[in-house]
Amino acid sequence: MAEPILSIEGVYFRYPNQSEYAVQNVSFQAERGEWLAIVGHNGSGKSTIARLLIGLLRPERGVIRLFGRPLDETTVWDVRRRVGMVFQNPDNQFVGTTVEDDIAFALENNGIPRDEMVERIHEAVRQVHMESFLEHEPHRLSGGQKQRVAIAGILALRPDMIILDEATSMLDPRGREEVLDTVRRLNRQRRITVVSITHDLEEAARADRIVVMNKGEVMAEGTPEHVFRLGGKLERIGLDLPFAVKMGSRLREKGIPLRVGYFTTEELVEELWTLYSKK
Amino acid sequence: MTNNLIIGQYVPGHSLIHRLDPRAKLLIVFAYVLIVFLANNVVTYTVLSLFTFVFAALSRIPLSFIMRGLKPILWVVLFTMLLHLFMTKEGDVVYRLGTFSIYEGGIRQGIFISLRFLLLVLMTTMLTLTTTPIEVTDGVESLLGPLKKMRVPVHELALMMAISLRFIPTLMEETEKIMKAQAARGVDFSGGRFSERVKAIVSLLVPLFISSFKRADELATAMEARGYRGGEGRTKFRQLVWKPLDTSFLVATALLAALLFLLRS
Repeated sequence: MAEPILSIEGVYFRYPNQSEYAVQNVSFQAERGEWLAIVGHNGSGKSTIARLLIGLLRPERGVIRLFGRPLDETTVWDVRRRVGMVFQNPDNQFVGTTVEDDIAFALENNGIPRDEMVERIHEAVRQVHMESFLEHEPHRLSGGQKQRVAIAGILALRPDMIILDEATSMLDPRGREEVLDTVRRLNRQRRITVVSITHDLEEAARADRIVVMNKGEVMAEGTPEHVFRLGGKLERIGLDLPFAVKMGSRLREKGIPLRVGYFTTEELVEELWTLYSKK
Repeated sequence: MTNNLIIGQYVPGHSLIHRLDPRAKLLIVFAYVLIVFLANNVVTYTVLSLFTFVFAALSRIPLSFIMRGLKPILWVVLFTMLLHLFMTKEGDVVYRLGTFSIYEGGIRQGIFISLRFLLLVLMTTMLTLTTTPIEVTDGVESLLGPLKKMRVPVHELALMMAISLRFIPTLMEETEKIMKAQAARGVDFSGGRFSERVKAIVSLLVPLFISSFKRADELATAMEARGYRGGEGRTKFRQLVWKPLDTSFLVATALLAALLFLLRS
């Protein structure tokens, strides 16, 4: 097996002046090109993990390794160049006065020469389909568009990994689709590793693998199919199962022979309408 | 309303003055403020006015916009004029009314001083009308660049200015939202006694402050995550390009100064 792009081992962290750990004994890995979802209820420690991953917080114990090297003062800036993070609030991560200024921000920080900047900015906006908005001010953009600009800002740095920290939770359904489709495309075409941190299991259903967090610990880990089989256990820690999964298990309880392994409404519909023709 | 909000009074355009480098404009306006005081007779004031009007005409900004900018100070101009009219006692008496006399020198002085005031304001408005706030910021940063050697945090100040400009519309939207939310809870922002109105404003300011601090915190985190670590080793995306046009405008201003110096009495 190839060496994982990201691995964290036995990480503990607590915020200053607090006796309880926000994250304790957490270990997991992600491989290149994988989409890993970290799910959990509020206070499960999932956002703390996001901040640990790019060195905004430092673990008390345990090791975080990115690209085969441990994360410390000497590697943190390189990591922040290769790993981009999209935060929850679209407004509070928009630094520039216009779209192009904002995308340029991270490039400026990394001392990229101006000619190359222009080229990279154009390349990045094309990938998130925001070409015609280059000179727009943030208040003329929707939430979904702002998040796509944030992604473009990351892409301009030619990253290996994108972390979504509840990046879709403040968006309307359309904005959410825009953002997730963009990330999905980048994940598939460019083999950019995605770590999406969310409480939304519908979003997590698109991942290759899910890590379930509860009270700072890893409660379960596996493919969506495997994790969703936990059913009631997930609901007990405050997570809402996707509609299709709930519906499917109810139908199975009623004795309808559905196969397991669909997580979106479309897949369930597909399963239902072909049910009898398959027999 | 917030959708076509223009920060400051900037009027978009592609005139000669719009295309001037913001540094050139800042320098010209700064020099102009000093040059104005060289004028002290009819000839010099005529030359100065001519220069200013040509400059304003080159900006191709509709007169109505310029007038709107000048309106608030018209009273001040009028007041200065009257003050000088009655207070200066020089030359022949032109008109006598009871104990008041108007002297020839008073009329001249009144017209000169109010004209000086008007020209000053006109020229500084030209700067804000033809330059976006962010251009002004870049210009100031570049002009103050040498101060970095004296450990003045020029880059940080410019970044602060740019971020405040960026967040003005966001905070306006937020203010509107909070006002509506508080109005829905029965707060009356428009009526009532003074003390009641102050109370209403407090109910607006407290949430606004709290959310601004939260924003600041999140923005700082996001900036750090995007590799921000101060001005050192940073490149700049927005670049100012000094053109021959800018030099010629600076030379014109210098010539104006020389001319006024020769013609003044």
